[in-house]
Amino acid sequence: MRRALSQLLTVEWSGILVAVLAGAVALAIASPPFLTEFNLFVFLRSVCVTLLVAYAQMVTLGVGQLNLAVGALGGLVAIIVGGLMDRLGVPVILAVPAGLAVGGLAGFLNGWLTVRTGINGFIVTLATASAFTGINLGITHSIPFYNLPAGFVGFGAGRIGIFPYLLIVPLIVTGLLALFFARTVPGRQLLAVGGNPNAAQLSGVSPSRAVIVAHVLSGLLSAAAAILAVAQLGSAQPTIGSDWLIISFAAPIIGGASLTGGHISIFGTLLAVLLVALIQNGMVLVKVDPYWVQFLLGALILAAVWVNRFRAVRLGTD
Amino acid sequence: MTRSERPLRAVLLERLTKASPQFGLFLIIVLFWVLFSSLAPGFLSRFNLNSLGRTLGIDIVIGLSQMVVLATGGMNLSVGAIGVCAVMLFGYLLQTLGLPIPVAVAGALAGGAALGWLNGFAIVKTGVNSFIVTLASASLYSGGMLILTKAVPFNGVPPAIGQFGRSGLFGVPAITLVALAVGLVLLVIYRFTRFGREALATGANLRAAEMSGVRVGRVLVLSHTLSGLLAAIAAVLLTARLGAAMPSVGGDDWLLPSFLAPVLGGTLLAGGVVSVVGTMLGALLVTTIRSGLLVLQIGNFWLQLFLGIILLAAVLLERYRSSLALRSRGMRP
Repeated sequence: MRRALSQLLTVEWSGILVAVLAGAVALAIASPPFLTEFNLFVFLRSVCVTLLVAYAQMVTLGVGQLNLAVGALGGLVAIIVGGLMDRLGVPVILAVPAGLAVGGLAGFLNGWLTVRTGINGFIVTLATASAFTGINLGITHSIPFYNLPAGFVGFGAGRIGIFPYLLIVPLIVTGLLALFFARTVPGRQLLAVGGNPNAAQLSGVSPSRAVIVAHVLSGLLSAAAAILAVAQLGSAQPTIGSDWLIISFAAPIIGGASLTGGHISIFGTLLAVLLVALIQNGMVLVKVDPYWVQFLLGALILAAVWVNRFRAVRLGTD
Repeated sequence: MTRSERPLRAVLLERLTKASPQFGLFLIIVLFWVLFSSLAPGFLSRFNLNSLGRTLGIDIVIGLSQMVVLATGGMNLSVGAIGVCAVMLFGYLLQTLGLPIPVAVAGALAGGAALGWLNGFAIVKTGVNSFIVTLASASLYSGGMLILTKAVPFNGVPPAIGQFGRSGLFGVPAITLVALAVGLVLLVIYRFTRFGREALATGANLRAAEMSGVRVGRVLVLSHTLSGLLAAIAAVLLTARLGAAMPSVGGDDWLLPSFLAPVLGGTLLAGGVVSVVGTMLGALLVTTIRSGLLVLQIGNFWLQLFLGIILLAAVLLERYRSSLALRSRGMRP
């Protein structure tokens, strides 16, 4: 029993799991409305978009890169999908794949530029983020698209009990990502390159290809997040994505991903998103200033990196 | 082969590769000025130049605030958050406490420096990457600021603040002059002081600097403190330009400009190299393009797209140029 416990403690997400459970229990006691069906639905719905955003950053962190353009790319996809449906009357079944294609393409551009030019990925994605936002604002002039198909908006608002329809997408994505990183060759190669690009190259893995794969995946995930956000809001707002940056890094890092690449945790990221959503939900329920969420998010990131570092030192892996 | 016999192309190539990157940037700026002033006569109007100069002053200081951390090989994502905290602190000291202006300025600058020091302290103590620490502290600082101020602006700052923002000397806005003075001080610091040399040595190779006796931790903390101080200077200048202290300024809006100016100006993200003049020129290029697009009535909407493309193009061009320079010296890039 004791051994099982100490083994659990060495698992990086054990701390967050305890925090999530303790937080949920504390919140349920402090504020009984937490457990109402509608509030649990709101809670789960707030997880959907954020989780995909976190995954979008997680895959680039895995290969040892970062993607400052997740939010800008998401905003661009959101207004393209919205514009296609509102202005051009394109059916949902075509608009959604088109949005995903734009996301994948934009991600490919990020990866290709990083690999081909050799410019630091930070600068590349900072520049493309600015460019994507520019295209977004140039097209929309900051005016949202409101006339979206009823079925699409209905999907964003609908639920079965406490489960929003939207939740189906992040659940499927979580499964696919777990499979991708655990079982497929490109997934393993991606992490190998993140861990040690030179060693990976010497073993016959192309670091360039892995970086491009990671960025395409990141673009697809951002696009999926954006499409869910449009469905959830019921309109394609040009501001979608503008507040994704911090949470996109916070969740994977709190979940145990290393910024230098090669190590990610899908379950840890999932728990981190749940924790942040719990804090957000709690703040609303106990009527605390919503600005505290931002403050606590910063504190959580610092605490998480500090704990991870402490553990690394203790386990002698550092 | 004597110099005069060499083909023109080789001479041109040599000129191009031997000139400093700042010279290339200067040429691009001149090109844009010619372009904008011929397309839109309003570009050179007194009114436009005045507003351009005031924006330029603030952009320069924001760029320098990022530059001093880039010099050490780190980065500071909380430049905007520190800036907005300093703006609100300045407003609070002036309006709520009614302190005299010099004291309030000193207080705001000290506040910015303290937040910067906190960044440096956390980075050195935990050994965590500056990217993550400043990402987190940006969230902490702006969250804390919003909790304390409830996002209510200070509109009743003394009119002298706004008057300073509008004033000028020999036709040059006072804000621009302050920025130039700040740049001059930094130029002296990085050319002639021990701290400047140690900061660059740390950025170039942290291990080597440490082994040569540089107290790396102290240098990093000082650089972050300086970055916070510069962000606060930019904040005070911004308050002077707007004539009020508002919580909506700064934040994420400073992120792109803070990197644009130093990176366009030839400061390396990897650390060890800075160019104060380059950062000023970088800020000038950004301000020129912004102002030009406004005068041409292309507007703010497409501006972001142009800035992104120009950032990429400038970095690519510089890369191409330096590889040409290496090749012409017979080295493999």
